[in-house]
Amino acid sequence: MKKLILITALLTSALFAQVKEKIEVPYVAFPIKMGKGFDAIQTNCLMCHSFGYIINQGRQSKKFWHGKVMKMVDHFKAPMDEQAIKETTNYLFEHYGNGKLK
Amino acid sequence: MERRDFFKKAAVVAGAAAVGSSTLEAGTTGQPVDNRKVSMVTFPEKRPLIMYSDRPPLLETPREVFTSVLTPNDQFFVRWHMPDIPTYIDPDTFTISVNGLVEKELKISLNDLKTKFEQVEVTAVLQCGGNSRSAFKPIAGGIQWGSGAMGCATWKGVRLRDILDHAGLKKDAKWIGFNGSEKAAYYETPEFIRELELTELDDNVILAYEMSGEDLPYLNGYPLRLVLPGYYSDSWVKMLSNITVTNKYKKLFFMDVAYRVPDNETESETPEKKFPKTKPIKKMNVKSIIGYPENGDKLSLKSHTVVRGVAFDDGHGIKEVLVSTDAGKTWEKALLDDGKLGRYAYRAFRFSFKPNTLGKVTIMAKAINKIGEEQPLSKDILWNHGGYKYNGIDEVTVEVI
Repeated sequence: MKKLILITALLTSALFAQVKEKIEVPYVAFPIKMGKGFDAIQTNCLMCHSFGYIINQGRQSKKFWHGKVMKMVDHFKAPMDEQAIKETTNYLFEHYGNGKLK
Repeated sequence: MERRDFFKKAAVVAGAAAVGSSTLEAGTTGQPVDNRKVSMVTFPEKRPLIMYSDRPPLLETPREVFTSVLTPNDQFFVRWHMPDIPTYIDPDTFTISVNGLVEKELKISLNDLKTKFEQVEVTAVLQCGGNSRSAFKPIAGGIQWGSGAMGCATWKGVRLRDILDHAGLKKDAKWIGFNGSEKAAYYETPEFIRELELTELDDNVILAYEMSGEDLPYLNGYPLRLVLPGYYSDSWVKMLSNITVTNKYKKLFFMDVAYRVPDNETESETPEKKFPKTKPIKKMNVKSIIGYPENGDKLSLKSHTVVRGVAFDDGHGIKEVLVSTDAGKTWEKALLDDGKLGRYAYRAFRFSFKPNTLGKVTIMAKAINKIGEEQPLSKDILWNHGGYKYNGIDEVTVEVI
């Protein structure tokens, strides 16, 4: 009888309590390239999103990467100064660029 | 717009881009990327899926899942915008607030939602506006989704209209704003809020706590999300926390800057010259995806193959799906399921195919809806800078051995 009650309790709690404790979203180590300007990337990009977002865009022009950085500044209000904008753009173009300025 | 006009305009736009620049590429489209493998890293309540980011989580459903009408919850795609999403919500203390231009402000618990209002269900497709974005060249900025940023589920909950009636709308109420619980890293970052005009509201718009018979998975918006059948998923606010009724439209990043297409007849532009006026993506266009076979599959000569897939639109309903096994020269009708899950659900299709020549064979599927809209060839899809609303005819190439 005890067993039966226990099973019933499990069944009722299972239906509406799939999130009974803290959920852990796994951490993924993306293979981001090291090099000049990486510090600026770590400081300014990683606050809001994983490196997956960067790698996912594929190789792009300098104009594309600058546009992306400016989107973060203008729309998402990333607190970046001119220096940070320059460093991140240069890093992105050097490591994830397609060689074209435009 | 007549389909004929569409192609006429398409030719003009593409031509203009080609003439105007010799070194710059014109916007073109092809088939979306289709060679990504599922990740080794699994996320809470999910099976291994194609993974683009862990923070915020971005997960895509693999092609093979698109053979059945309901997408299993643990294979349903995931897309968040902000890095900070609550990792625990207590279902016993959670409440949804309703405020603004209402006669009485409400705080409704999950239990009250489930017991004090009429419970309704709607089966509907949820698709990201940027689904298949990887089809666009040059690259349209954003997550380079393949074709799996979509799924179909039976959503259970309470009609938004019933909640608003309960609160009582004031006379000048015009807009309803929805807040999700995801938070940005910086206070100044715009919150993920959507607004819906009262005139867009019908009885299919619900606040859902259940997805195909289970609680909403955490990554799909537990404990409550907005369900807007026919609309792209950016409007389906997850982890809903607040509903505010206003009389004025508030300018919002996620409605006024992101998730928009050129406001012209073909919703297109060239990479060099963006169209100045834009409009929200809102409703989905007609689309179909082949779930089986997959690119690169090997089929035996004269084997009995059944091509399977799903088709949908924004609720007009699917009239037919045509399949070609000769690279688009001839088309034949596929068999559609009974459609008993309603006009917002996937229609599953199947098509018997007995390959009788050796070598590579390209299988294509084209859906046509009840108002005569049909999918264009992928190369005829016109470019837009956000890479939204791709609905090109799906192709898989198999090898007959």
